[in-house]
Amino acid sequence: MKDPCPSVSKLLEKYFDREVTEEERSLVEAHLPGCPNCQEALNMMTGLRDVLKNPVEEAVEKEDFPWVWQKIERGIRLAEKPPWWESIRSWLDISPLFKRRVWIPAVATVAILIFTLVLFKKTPSHPGASVVEYLESPIYNVMVYDLEKAKVTVIWLFEGPEQEEFSS
Amino acid sequence: MNQEENDLISRCQQGDQDALKEIFNLYHKKVYRIAYGVVRQREEALDIVQEVFLKLFRSIKNFTGKSHFYTYLYRMVMNTAIDHARKIKKSRTLSLDENGSFEPSDGVEKRPDSILLDKELEGRVKQAMEKLQPDQRAALIFREVEGLSYEEIAEAMGCSIGTVMSRLHYGRKKMQELLKDYIRLGGGK
Repeated sequence: MKDPCPSVSKLLEKYFDREVTEEERSLVEAHLPGCPNCQEALNMMTGLRDVLKNPVEEAVEKEDFPWVWQKIERGIRLAEKPPWWESIRSWLDISPLFKRRVWIPAVATVAILIFTLVLFKKTPSHPGASVVEYLESPIYNVMVYDLEKAKVTVIWLFEGPEQEEFSS
Repeated sequence: MNQEENDLISRCQQGDQDALKEIFNLYHKKVYRIAYGVVRQREEALDIVQEVFLKLFRSIKNFTGKSHFYTYLYRMVMNTAIDHARKIKKSRTLSLDENGSFEPSDGVEKRPDSILLDKELEGRVKQAMEKLQPDQRAALIFREVEGLSYEEIAEAMGCSIGTVMSRLHYGRKKMQELLKDYIRLGGGK
């Protein structure tokens, strides 16, 4: 690449960029026809501009910008949407039923009730069994009961508190 | 800045999304040109456009109107684009061999058809741009791609016209050195 002549070197780029005054423009245009170096320098600047600009213009023509706007809109919505824990917290704050003064004692009461029920629940010795008959005598005791789950009737014959006999 | 644009900006500052859409319609091609001019990749350029308008919506409250709106926007685009260019430089798929000649990473041999030549040229331009200082790169894109005047570039970059001229001069000189074969080939494209 050849350098432009010293006489117009400072003006040549300004001329190329259309930033010269009328007087400067006349000066450069009077110089150019007889100066291959300055002509080449101008051609190089034009070539560089083409190389930088043409692919960009081609890309702009091909682009689908409404789709880009849709992505921007989605981005705004996402930025505006609070995270899920914030949504829950704000819902708790606005719901009168779940205001802190109500729901803490309410949850505590329910927890105590459940605990009490579990603790004092009467558990049957034979779960699911219903006694049909019970006979006592000095020698033997007999108990007849149904096991509903297994659909079986059990006859329990036992002698005393220590010795028991089982039959079904 | 005209009254219509002023109104749009005020509405946008109050969170009006329709106003942002109108600003998008006015400026999206300019924003895309600058973004593409810096990163030379479609997907990246589109990401930058999206990021810039989202940033604009968030930060437009800080725009005081002391400068032109477009210079405020252009500065935002340029900063975002140069940040992206830095990030993608590391993950670039195109590579230079030891002799510095360009080859596509998939190992396809170069053929003299125009598509591959365009791709090769774009790869070269991108590599050359990365070798410029960010200020030189910004000045060159503002001037050559977007066609801004020296005064507009100076306002967008927050510097004097003399500094703009100097950045353009050294940027052009370096690019011409790096792309001299391609400028002769591609200049007449």
